[in-house]
Amino acid sequence: MKVPREFYKGPKDIPHEEELSPGAPLCAGCGGLMTLRLMHKVLGENVVIVNAAGCMTLMATYPYSPIRSSWLYTTMGSVAAGAQGIRDALDIRRAKGKLSEQDEMKVLVLAGDGSTYDMGLSATSAAIHRRLDFWYLCYDNEAYGNTGFQMSSASPFASRTTTSPIGQQEPEGTFQEKKDMFELWRAQKPPYMATVSSHEVVDLAEKVKRSMAIKGPKLFLALAVCPTGWGFDPRMGDELAHLAVKTGIWPLKEAVDGVVRHTLIPSRFLPVEEYLRPQLRFRHLFEPAPHTEAMQAIQQKVDRYWEQVRKDEPAASPALNRGTSGT
Amino acid sequence: MRFHGRGGHGIKTASRIVGTAAFLAGYEVQDSPIYGAERRGAPVTAFTRIASSAILERGVITQPDLIICGDETLLESPASGVLNGVEQAAALFINTRNLEAIRAQGKLHVRMVALDITQRTSDRIGKASALSVGLGAAAARLSGLISCEQLGEGVRTELEELGLDAPMIEKNLLLAQEVYAELETVTVEPRKFSATAVIHKMGYDHVLLGTPSILAPGNAEARQTGAWRVERPEIDYDSCTRCGLCFVHCPDGAIALDEQGYPVIDYDHCKGCLICLEQCPRHSIRSKKEVRSW
Repeated sequence: MKVPREFYKGPKDIPHEEELSPGAPLCAGCGGLMTLRLMHKVLGENVVIVNAAGCMTLMATYPYSPIRSSWLYTTMGSVAAGAQGIRDALDIRRAKGKLSEQDEMKVLVLAGDGSTYDMGLSATSAAIHRRLDFWYLCYDNEAYGNTGFQMSSASPFASRTTTSPIGQQEPEGTFQEKKDMFELWRAQKPPYMATVSSHEVVDLAEKVKRSMAIKGPKLFLALAVCPTGWGFDPRMGDELAHLAVKTGIWPLKEAVDGVVRHTLIPSRFLPVEEYLRPQLRFRHLFEPAPHTEAMQAIQQKVDRYWEQVRKDEPAASPALNRGTSGT
Repeated sequence: MRFHGRGGHGIKTASRIVGTAAFLAGYEVQDSPIYGAERRGAPVTAFTRIASSAILERGVITQPDLIICGDETLLESPASGVLNGVEQAAALFINTRNLEAIRAQGKLHVRMVALDITQRTSDRIGKASALSVGLGAAAARLSGLISCEQLGEGVRTELEELGLDAPMIEKNLLLAQEVYAELETVTVEPRKFSATAVIHKMGYDHVLLGTPSILAPGNAEARQTGAWRVERPEIDYDSCTRCGLCFVHCPDGAIALDEQGYPVIDYDHCKGCLICLEQCPRHSIRSKKEVRSW
């Protein structure tokens, strides 16, 4: 099931202009960069990026930067406050007649999951409360990737990070559940919010375009595949992003004033193993002996989620079939 | 000894393998990597100190006895510092099949040892860019301090810690033995280093001298990330249907569409992630081994 497309029919309709120059010193196959590139294409060139410390900070590394628009670097905790300052400054310049309409800038927060889920949550919550007119892109690679892949509150259950290693006491690695950031944001009923995947480019572009007609906080949560931290061959990155959607682990949805609709529901769900197996951070679930209990727990959580979706949005969701691909 | 390579080659692991093997051989050991602000594909350096008594020295190694270079393209990159202290080194090991070409340039006055680790790694474990074991084995052999068995233990310990599965570890052990057998030990002359401490008086300069300013927007284009590539995607234009999927899925924007809508790869910046190859529905993109790093 796909919601009807208003602006982009297919990948060819994605704007051809590149807003970022190539040569960014980020890992080959970076899912976060792919997401930012697509989002920036739709937002256009007049953007001020307010960037919380994290992997993406390395885009602008002396003496080079791939960013053709403006860029402000903040601490992990203060990124949304930085966005407020930039927005206010722009508004004041507009009011004084020093900034013409065609030079109007969009303020885009760029933050990883460490900033979004952990340190910056309070400042973001305050910005949503003040109805700040800005975009927020969280590139969620489910750990503190820049510093060596330490656990964050976005790290999923049973994933291995450098601070939640596999041991006798914690055989599943991370024993905590991933924080439900979407629901935390949604509790404040922002005018627009969405989850996106770098694989589903048209879905992503549509959501960004839809958000552009809206004033106030516009929040995006992107699953950012991370070859370095998750442990897979970079060439499989996009396929893994696809599998996250096809297994139902990463639901694609949006919420307007807190009302949720799912934008792309697979007609047939693959078992979660298909997504977990290719990643080194989940290897312990398969070898040396299968960790059936943990795997079932992950599957059940996904199943329960989609059962609830079927109840809440009966028209949108077809019968939930679990496929048996791979057997 | 000092190791050089690119992020993703396993340079840190190479230094750890030698370190662990030397520790198992009864030596005092210290190993540590140093990363720049850059990522997978960018230059990485790692250090291993091996001694028969306690090692009190810390920090980077500026005068190594052995330099192990995992990627010959780094020799031309002054910023990576492969040649720092090369004058006093007992040997410079280069992972290359083109030693004669490097020699012919006549720039390096040091004993050079070469072996095509990339080919052997590709043959043994099917992945050309995972150089850690091959480089670690080369360093262990050249040092003359570590037996083949101790090397094997080092490899096993480090790869288990990384979570590799048993068949993959076995393949790596065979690779380590192969590299070990093909090289010879070099003689490392003991050197005396001055232990005199010097106090540097620091002055003050204008603040702008210390400000790392980026002076033009979008100037990363001048950084040629194409050198990171191990494999090179190539488009077969006869079967390309101009669907545009490779263009939208390239994380770096290194694929553009020409006037007819055909994709064109920017090889100066393509990092070789090969997502385009995987996403092409017609399999019109193939990969070729990148010649320079081979």
